[in-house]
Amino acid sequence: MSTTVTPESFAMVDFDAARIVDVVEHLRGRLQLPDVDICIEVDETTPMGRVRLARLDPLTVRVESGALEDPKAPRQLSEPGAAEALGRLLLAAADRLDPAFGAPALDAELPGGVAMAWDVYGVARLGRAGYGVSQQRRRYHFRNRFGFTDRADRAFDRLWDGDDLRYEDLVAIAADAVSDESALTT
Amino acid sequence: MKRILPVEELARDERFVRVDLLSRMADARKPSDEDRKGSQAMRPDDAASSDGARALMHGIFMGEIQALEGAGRTCWDFDIGTAHDEAPFELKLDMARQCWDEARHVEISVKLNEWMGTEIGEFSESTFLYEAACNPDPVLRLTGVNRALEGLAIDIFSSMRSFGQLAGDPVLEFCEDWMLADEVTHVKMGSDWLRRITADDPERRKNALEFQKIVDKLFSLGGFRGDDDESPIKLARRFRELAGFDQAEIDEIADLAHQALEEAEARRAASYG
Amino acid sequence: MAEGFEARPAFAPWDRRELPGAFSVEESARRVGAYKWIEMRLFEALGGWIATVPELDVKMHFGTHCYHHAWHAELWHKRLPELREMDPERLTAPGSDLVAEAMEAIVEPQGPELTLEKLVGVYRVLLPHKIAAYTYHLNSTSPITDAPTIRSLGFALQDERSDWLDGEMLIQSLLRDADDVERAAAHQVKIEKLLHAAGGIAGPGSLGGPTAADEAQEVSA
Repeated sequence: MSTTVTPESFAMVDFDAARIVDVVEHLRGRLQLPDVDICIEVDETTPMGRVRLARLDPLTVRVESGALEDPKAPRQLSEPGAAEALGRLLLAAADRLDPAFGAPALDAELPGGVAMAWDVYGVARLGRAGYGVSQQRRRYHFRNRFGFTDRADRAFDRLWDGDDLRYEDLVAIAADAVSDESALTT
Repeated sequence: MKRILPVEELARDERFVRVDLLSRMADARKPSDEDRKGSQAMRPDDAASSDGARALMHGIFMGEIQALEGAGRTCWDFDIGTAHDEAPFELKLDMARQCWDEARHVEISVKLNEWMGTEIGEFSESTFLYEAACNPDPVLRLTGVNRALEGLAIDIFSSMRSFGQLAGDPVLEFCEDWMLADEVTHVKMGSDWLRRITADDPERRKNALEFQKIVDKLFSLGGFRGDDDESPIKLARRFRELAGFDQAEIDEIADLAHQALEEAEARRAASYG
Repeated sequence: MAEGFEARPAFAPWDRRELPGAFSVEESARRVGAYKWIEMRLFEALGGWIATVPELDVKMHFGTHCYHHAWHAELWHKRLPELREMDPERLTAPGSDLVAEAMEAIVEPQGPELTLEKLVGVYRVLLPHKIAAYTYHLNSTSPITDAPTIRSLGFALQDERSDWLDGEMLIQSLLRDADDVERAAAHQVKIEKLLHAAGGIAGPGSLGGPTAADEAQEVSA
């Protein structure tokens, strides 16, 4: 199994592809990811920070450079930031590759809020694996999506503390987080 | 203790990292047209808006620290008097009052950062506010800081208060509301002192307003602030009226924001070739 | 004799205030002018220091305290013309040249590594001296004729005591080891000697005893 990063060298940002490979290899070991080839495709033309799981075979993550960037040093790589941005996607990929998890097809649209619920579950696992993550930051995102309510907070806690959750659990928790139907719009 | 403390000597603990404006602007990367248009008005259900709000509020936190420092320096840097390099006693009293207000804003911002899951020093610092506060003419300090940059703060707090209301975020809405009230007072202080001190000195007033225009244009941030409903930070016309701006002045700021947007778009088009 | 209402004493039985106080109008004005001068120097220095200290909590306390002392300066500024229309500009002066020298030493530390010195000079020396002088004035002046000054002293003392406490707690929290304790003590001794030589924040007689004017009169007599 291998990890590749494209491009191999960067012109618009000061990223080192080899360091990104190291981050992914560290994630592999710490998170016990499946034994598959991993490709990280970095779009350095934009400063935005989106990260997307593009394919499962080979496991391909498309990431905009802002997601790997140090917020204190423009155009420099942040290894902790890269670990969080890539780690939660790689965990989601591992979930999808596990038949027991019961994920839909990669191109299937997820019900409202499930993507965020999955993110929370992923980041929590990263935290338990020893990576520095901010629970409060994720809770703030979750509250903005689902509401500043006790109900939403309880749902968040279930995701954060959850172990061995299935896809159907994520769907149920996301549905339960809403106290008002209108908050479930896509 | 010396007078006029240069920005290089601004004291910070180890959490803070400073990045100069030129370095930020020397970025070859550009968001796509679709992203630029789509990322207008922040929406609570959009994860990027959530992180955008965090970064913006951390930027405000840094601005409040610098506003506190700038107001404090204005207390120290000038003898009492009416010459161009002096400040009236009452102006210093107003600056001391502003110190108290800004200290509270720093406290509020720290608590708000905790609420949003942002660490102190998580984002880099730009020192443009303090640099405006280093001007050797106290009137230019007040136009640059109190009218221009605190005017921008009014726009930001007004927009973020709306964001908080939309999201149902009681803490964000509360914090922005209270800080907004103080900022209107600070901007009004700047307007009032500008008029009082330059009542018989049209040249000094002209220079001060020119300095304000430069700061206003620079900190329209390439169209991030504007007069449209879709602007991420909307010009808060009503609050600016309360703070002593007249309609012509507000219209001029809107024009400057529009110019800044057009210039930013022209730069983007040029860099794509 | 008017009919109807029973006569009552002008002063209620529990009102034990007496008329004379320790200060003439002129002496009271001199002291108030000295207080104004010192509050001005202090608020200016606290404001100027905010940008020079790296500690966030110290920055914020300096900002809040800057306002307290500016407000005291304003209280004294407003009181001065009330005292038989004396010239506020002339009266706004240090209690003596030695007071000015002490204040120079208090505001002299600048570098970011000197937060301890900045705090010690103000909160372990200057503020205790101000509290002492204000309290002496409050207790000594006429509670009938000089009631406005007493009122302002009461407000100022409330701030002085709470600021003193804030500053002392900041100092204690910044002392890392015995070297820091020595450093703080050394600076305190240095400033204390200067203010002691000055006779206090209002010059000689700050806490009673002859003032500079008394001494000058004795010499000429």
